[in-house]
Amino acid sequence: MSELFDQFVVEVQELLETAGAALLALERDPADRASVDELFRAFHTLKGASALFDMAPFTLLVHAGEDTLSLLRDGRRAMTPELADRLFRALDQCARWVAALEEAGALPADAAAAAETLVRGMAGGETTTDAAASAGEADAFPWVAALTDTERAAVGEGALTAIDYTPDPECFFTGDDPLALFRRVPDLRLLRVEPTEPLPPLAEMDPYRCLLRFRALSGAGVEAVTPAFRSVPDQVRIGSVALAPMLAPSAAPPGSLAAAMLDEQARILDLPGNAAERDSRRAAAARAVAAILTALGRATERAAVEAACTDAHTLRRFLADGPAEKPAVAEPRPATAAPRRVLRVEPERMDALMALVGELSVVKGQLGPLVRRAGDGEMARDLKSFEARLDGLVGDLRHAALRLRLLPLARVFDPLPRLVRDTARRLDKTVELVLEGAETEADKDILDVLGEPLLHLVRNALDHGIEAPERRAATGKPPAGTLRVRAFQDKGGVVVEVSDDGAGIDPAAMRRAAVAKGLLEPDAAAALSDDDAVRLVFAPGFSTADSVSDLSGRGVGMDAVRAAVERAGGRVEIASTPGSGTRVRLSLPLTLSITRVVVVEAAGSLYGIPVALVGGVQRVPRAEIRGVKRAESVVLRDRVVPLVRLRRLLGQPGDERVREADCVVLAELGDGPVAVAVDDVGERADVVLRPMTGVLRSLSGYAGTAVLGDGRLILVLDLRELL
Amino acid sequence: MPIRYDADLARFEAACTVEDALPLAEWLEATAAPRVDLSACTDLHTALLQLLMAARPVVTAGPEDAFLGRVIPLPPTGP
Repeated sequence: MSELFDQFVVEVQELLETAGAALLALERDPADRASVDELFRAFHTLKGASALFDMAPFTLLVHAGEDTLSLLRDGRRAMTPELADRLFRALDQCARWVAALEEAGALPADAAAAAETLVRGMAGGETTTDAAASAGEADAFPWVAALTDTERAAVGEGALTAIDYTPDPECFFTGDDPLALFRRVPDLRLLRVEPTEPLPPLAEMDPYRCLLRFRALSGAGVEAVTPAFRSVPDQVRIGSVALAPMLAPSAAPPGSLAAAMLDEQARILDLPGNAAERDSRRAAAARAVAAILTALGRATERAAVEAACTDAHTLRRFLADGPAEKPAVAEPRPATAAPRRVLRVEPERMDALMALVGELSVVKGQLGPLVRRAGDGEMARDLKSFEARLDGLVGDLRHAALRLRLLPLARVFDPLPRLVRDTARRLDKTVELVLEGAETEADKDILDVLGEPLLHLVRNALDHGIEAPERRAATGKPPAGTLRVRAFQDKGGVVVEVSDDGAGIDPAAMRRAAVAKGLLEPDAAAALSDDDAVRLVFAPGFSTADSVSDLSGRGVGMDAVRAAVERAGGRVEIASTPGSGTRVRLSLPLTLSITRVVVVEAAGSLYGIPVALVGGVQRVPRAEIRGVKRAESVVLRDRVVPLVRLRRLLGQPGDERVREADCVVLAELGDGPVAVAVDDVGERADVVLRPMTGVLRSLSGYAGTAVLGDGRLILVLDLRELL
Repeated sequence: MPIRYDADLARFEAACTVEDALPLAEWLEATAAPRVDLSACTDLHTALLQLLMAARPVVTAGPEDAFLGRVIPLPPTGP
């Protein structure tokens, strides 16, 4: 659909989120004026924005919401959980409609009926009857609030007279010419002629039936306008409206980078020089200004920009006032309402940029050896300092390119308050949600991975973790449970923790359940440590049945959570204390496009192991490695960990050298830790992982190839597949 | 007749009234790529405006009349 519509969708989504947050705050504290105001503003803006498009049920619904809130604001109605439910339902409906509009371009067929039901719901329990009277006169002309910028500029500001004229469809037969009436309106500032319904194809159209609607604004008073419509008093509404002065359409917010860049262009135009130099500067400045304006969402006629770039003064005025005069032929285009807040870039372009940055690092890495070959002379010194500078720049570039994809975790946190509220209400529990670290940033791909598992964990914690108030009271806990969702950055990755102060998981019950489900033999289950028993919730096939939740286990789909997180190169950990709560920790890499690996050596080749899997690296004396036939194990951090040798895994000959200690990488895989013995452990490096292609694709055990900063190629291992 | 039809081009002249609605509708329907010239039009009946809005013909020249010029929400001149 049109750009205007796209913008509408983005705006509505933001408004719905704002409204949802304000509603939550308001429900918690019904006396919170700021939230009522914010909620009211959101509904009001939604109403105005929706009036631009053909979506009457939407407008009707938000209008009703606005009315309800206006009663609330005036203290004529009280906030109740039931009313909050209804308002939430209205917001949800709006969100669904917007999704439908985006997808199908039209509201669903049942929209009008749905709106009606919701509107009745909100009106229910209304105590006062003067709701209609409370609607101000400005509300009688909602379209006035939704004029496009171009129209606003044309009508001016202050007190105006609005005319809303919907002629009788049969009016042509009585000799009326609705359009002609507007010729008699004094100081006509705006006249919009719109079909009241989509016009039918010409063949089915009755040329003598009027299907148009007229909306106009005049600078004259109501009494001066009314006489023009004396013949059609029943079809016209005339009233005065006040238009707030329009914000100065400054090209870019002052102090922003764009503003500084625009100012710089003006400065360049004033530089001294001969005619040819000035001409080329003018062309360059015009290109720059046009590009900056387009990026700001203010695409402007090329000719107008070029005309403005004659000297600094003209350019500054052009930027402040807009084009001096509109080209006569151009139709007034629907101006974009506000500078776009986000710049949308296709992911492919980002990937291309990342790939280029990767190549650049590789090429830069080859400079080192060259510099060393240059010896010690003056030239070599210069080369060295040049290399250092290049090094820094490439590093910064890489960092900047990486950051382009980062978004705050607030995106995945946003749905949580609502989820907690609804679920807690359904379960009759009282739960305080504490969100921390919403500003933590992670790659967009990671956020996409994180969203679903997080909802799952929160739902589980509410369902199975936090107890009902009576039970909490009986164990001496405060009746309201606390659910804490905390995000922070760690080891080059992002960590999200979901912890509750609920009943926790009973390891004994987990062991019994595992045996009952036939997942473990009784003696194997008995041998499990408590921590490992709790970790059983992640085992596939463990947690789908109801019996698990009866055992106070948390369960539904925890293996799905684990699978999703591990697919993205992350890790899930769980810790639980029976009686006092459970904590689930998701660790994910910062980005999917750059993987942090530990470089290890085996049989003379380099390999990478994703850092997310690495729990530690250490030297283990040979004597501490216990071997039973070919199976070896080692005790690390009080755990018996199976030990595998990378050479053997890769089918390489064993290490003949006699060594006193082995280098061991402790890999934390989903079903327990594994110690991987390697020849040597090198640096940690950020690499762009490239999947195996062509004939190599069928090779299992490798996640892909990557090039190190110095140009050496490594194979990145997929330990899960390899073991 | 205030509207003169010339193959695929209709010239609107002086005050065009509701009487022109039916012939205009038929012409718009029958013409594959209709074009209209409104330059000499001084008054346009609502019924005609409505037909133009529905058929969206190419406007080779907009009305010189100031009031009509700002009212007519028609697509700009074709390529």
